[in-house]
Amino acid sequence: MRRLVVLVLILAGCATVADGPDYSALPRWPSHAIPQARGDVRALPDGRRQAVRYEGWTTQDFGRFRTYAYDDTRPEIPVSRALPPAGLAGDARKGRALFLSREKAPCTGCHLVPGADVWPAGSVGPDLSAIGDRRLPDAYLYQQIWDPRVTFPNTTMPPWGASRAFTAEEIVHLVAYLQTLKGPLPPEPDAERNPFTRRRPTGFGDNLDPTNNPAVVIAEDAEKLWNAPGPNGRACANCHDGGVTRAMRGVAAHYPKLVAAYGRVMSIEDFLTVHGPERTGRPLLAESAENVDLTMLIKMASNGMPVQVDVTSAEARAALARGKASFYRRIGERNHSCADCHTPERGANKFLGGRMLADVTEGLTRHFPTWRTSQGAAWDMRRRFQWCMTPLGANMLAADAIEYAELELYLTSFDNGKPISAPGIRH
Amino acid sequence: MKDHPIDRRRALATLGALGLGASGLTLSRPRRAHAQTLGQHETVDEALKRLFGARPLKDGGGIVKLDLPLIAENGAVVPVSVDVTSPMTPANYVKTIYVVADKNRIPVVFRTTLGPEAGQAAIGATIRLGETGDVRAIVEQSDGTLLAVKREVKVTVGGCGG
Amino acid sequence: MSDIGKVRVRLPSSIKPGDVVRVRSLVIHPMERIERDSKGRIVDKKYLYINRVVATYLGKTVAAFDTTQSVSENPTFVFSFRATDPGTLTIAFHDTHGGKYEGTADVKFV
Repeated sequence: MRRLVVLVLILAGCATVADGPDYSALPRWPSHAIPQARGDVRALPDGRRQAVRYEGWTTQDFGRFRTYAYDDTRPEIPVSRALPPAGLAGDARKGRALFLSREKAPCTGCHLVPGADVWPAGSVGPDLSAIGDRRLPDAYLYQQIWDPRVTFPNTTMPPWGASRAFTAEEIVHLVAYLQTLKGPLPPEPDAERNPFTRRRPTGFGDNLDPTNNPAVVIAEDAEKLWNAPGPNGRACANCHDGGVTRAMRGVAAHYPKLVAAYGRVMSIEDFLTVHGPERTGRPLLAESAENVDLTMLIKMASNGMPVQVDVTSAEARAALARGKASFYRRIGERNHSCADCHTPERGANKFLGGRMLADVTEGLTRHFPTWRTSQGAAWDMRRRFQWCMTPLGANMLAADAIEYAELELYLTSFDNGKPISAPGIRH
Repeated sequence: MKDHPIDRRRALATLGALGLGASGLTLSRPRRAHAQTLGQHETVDEALKRLFGARPLKDGGGIVKLDLPLIAENGAVVPVSVDVTSPMTPANYVKTIYVVADKNRIPVVFRTTLGPEAGQAAIGATIRLGETGDVRAIVEQSDGTLLAVKREVKVTVGGCGG
Repeated sequence: MSDIGKVRVRLPSSIKPGDVVRVRSLVIHPMERIERDSKGRIVDKKYLYINRVVATYLGKTVAAFDTTQSVSENPTFVFSFRATDPGTLTIAFHDTHGGKYEGTADVKFV
C-alpha cells in the first residue's frame, strides 16, 4: 500500500514537472553573501554536518528534507500510514507537556486547548478544547498526528510522525491527552487567551518616523556610504548625481526585476552585490549591514510611490511561474509551503502563537527591509525568508539565490499598485 | 518561531539585575551610584519599599493615565506613556513619575523628573518586559503625595516553535 | 554598533509662543542586557546602557530621565515643555561607559 502511494506521488511529481514552470536556461549563480547567509553546511571533524547560520539560530543540518533549490528534485515527505504501537500506554500528563513544549512545535502555536498556562495559543488549526467529546478512535487521532495527509491531502498540518519530529511513543501520549479534553467548557475568563476572540496586534507605530523606527536613522546615515568613494576611487554618487533622493526616485518600484546583464531576476539587494563592487570596488555582500542600509536608503527615495514590478513580459511571467511554484512547494521537516501560513484560505490573518500571520494578497514586501524590534536590526526580505525556513526544518539557500529572488518577485506582484513604505517596523 | 525561546531566555536574562553587576561599577562617580540605586535586582515589593518606604500610595485612577498595549507582540520594545491631569505651576506640579514593571528582574524601569516648565506632565518611553505582568506608574506630586496606577500587559511570542 | 549614539529629536512642525510642546526623541544604543554564565550566574561586568537623559531649554532642565536596563534597546523618550521663547532644545543621553550623545531641535515661532 505504502509503495503504491509513493508511486502515485512520483507520477504526480513527473506530471507537475512536465506541465510546470521552465527551469532551464537559468544561470549558475555563485553567492555574494556574508558567511552566515550563504546557506553553507560544513562537515565537522567527527563527520557530523552543521549548518552555518546566524548566531543564536540552530546549527542543525536539515539536509534530509527538501529545500527551495530548483535542482532539489526530491519529492515531499512520502505520505505514511501508521497505527499506534501495541503495548504502549499513553500518559495524558506527558502528552500535555509535549503539546505545550516550545522545543517540539508547540502544538499550541496552532491549536487552542484549556488552561491558564496555554499562552499564546494560535488559531491556524481547529480549537481542540473539547476534542475528547468527539469520541474519535485513538487510532484515528494517532494517524492525524502521524500524518494527516492520509485523510486530508491538502492539510496545513505537518506529518509529525512521518517526518520523525515526534516519536511513536510521544504521539501515543499526545493522543491520551487529547482524549481527556471534554466539555462542557467553563466560561473563558480571559478573552485574550482565546485566539478566536483575541484582538489584533496594534503594531509598532509610524514606521517612517525616525524617533520611532531606528531603521530610518540608520538608513539616513547610509547617505555617507552612498557618497564615500570605494577602493577604486568611485562612489555611488559619482554616477548617480543629484543626491540619492532624486537620483533613485522611483527606482525601487520596479524591483525585483529581470536584469538582462546578469540573466536573472534581482532585488535591489541582489543587484548591489554585483553592481557595487563592479563600479566602486566596494563589496556589498548580501545581508551585510552596508547592503541592507543602502537598500533602505534607495527604497526610501520611492516611498509613497506605487510598486510596479513587471508581471507581463514573457521573462517575468516565466519567473513568476517559478516563484509561484516555490510559494506552493512543500519543504522541510514540517512539509510546509509558504501558502500554508500566508494565504487567506489557510493560515493568513490567523494567530500563529501570539503573532498574526501576514496575508500574501495584501502584499508582504513593500515595507522591506524592515526593522525587527525583537531582533534589534533591519532585515531584508531574504533574511526573513531564511528565518522562516529554519523552524520549518529546511536548510536555507544563499541570500542572493535566484530561487529567493523569484519567490520575492511573486510576493511583490501582490504589492503592485500599493505604495512603498520602507523601512517598515514589525515585531 | 525557532528563535522565540532564545528571545525569551535573552529577555529574561536582560531584565536581570544591576545586582552583582553593580559591583563592577565604580562608585566614584555620583551618577553611577545614583543609577545603581534606581535599578536593582529585586522583587517589585522590595523596589517599592526601597523607593517609597511606608509612604501611602493612593489610587491615581482618574488623574493618572497609563497607556500601554494590552498585548505586547514583543517584550523587547513596549511603548509606555503616562499622562497626569495636574496643574504645572511652581506651587503645584508633578515632580517625578516612576515606571515599574512588576515581573522584570530589574523592576524599576525609569524615573522622570519634571518641573513646572514642562507645562504638562505627559511622558513616554519604550521599555522591556520579560513576561506578562503588571506595569505601574507612580506619580509624586510637589506636595509629596504619591499616586499609583497599574495595568497588565500580556507579552506574546510567535508560534512555530523549536 | 557603529551607529551607537545617533540621535533624532522631533518637535511639532508649527509652534506658537506659550504652546506646550510634545517632544519625541530616539537614540541608537544597545542598552546592554544582563548576561548570565552557564551556571546562570550574572556576569559581573560594567554593562553598557544609558542611565540618564537630560533635556535642557533656555539653560534650564525641563525633563530628566534616570533609566535602568529595563528600558528598551534604541529607546524612545517622549516629554513636554512650554515653549516661551526661541531657543534650542538639547537632549543629552549619558551611558554607563561615560558616553554622552546629544541631539538638538530649534524652537522657532512662525
